[in-house]
Amino acid sequence: MTAGQLLVASLFAVAITLFAGVEIVSRREGSRVPSLGDVCGVVMRYRVGPLPVGRIAMFGFWWWLGWHFLAR
Amino acid sequence: MDRPELVAEVDRAWARPVVLTPVFALISLVGGALPSFSLPANLLVLGAGGALFWLGMSSALPRRPAPARLPRRAAWWLLPLLLFGVVEGATFLNGSYAYPTLSRLADPVLEHYWARAAGYFGWLWAFWAMVRR
Repeated sequence: MTAGQLLVASLFAVAITLFAGVEIVSRREGSRVPSLGDVCGVVMRYRVGPLPVGRIAMFGFWWWLGWHFLAR
Repeated sequence: MDRPELVAEVDRAWARPVVLTPVFALISLVGGALPSFSLPANLLVLGAGGALFWLGMSSALPRRPAPARLPRRAAWWLLPLLLFGVVEGATFLNGSYAYPTLSRLADPVLEHYWARAAGYFGWLWAFWAMVRR
């Protein structure tokens, strides 16, 4: 692994650790930080007229992510 | 004294973790053996993802309630999200193998059977968690 690859991998590791850290904080009793699930729930409730845009966007993104990493 | 009526939404039998865990595990064990760019891998992701997408858009399953609005402290989520977005965006625009994107970094890892199977398993469970929201 080159120095550049190591740098990028470290930055991604920091981001993932931060995701985990905020989630742990959100699950503590009395925490005012919402969990990732709650944030996703609010985003997924977003609608434009009758169209559940938030739901379609989240499902579409996750579907694409699986295809991108596991099938392409 | 009036007693409010209690309404409990009961999960369908097939939607319980005791049923879904082995189903997702089976899909993952099969998916782990399918190489990238193969037709079976594409069909598996499109089929499993399509089924979960359809379930999520239908009203076949009860959903967990979400908060009416996000408190200000939800902004903490921007910290990892922005770092992730900046690194991914910069490496994508750079376009070189010296500074690879996350998918390029993950490719050699996902060539291993168990890592790939674990990737499928995590992807399916996270998809399911969104379907229930």
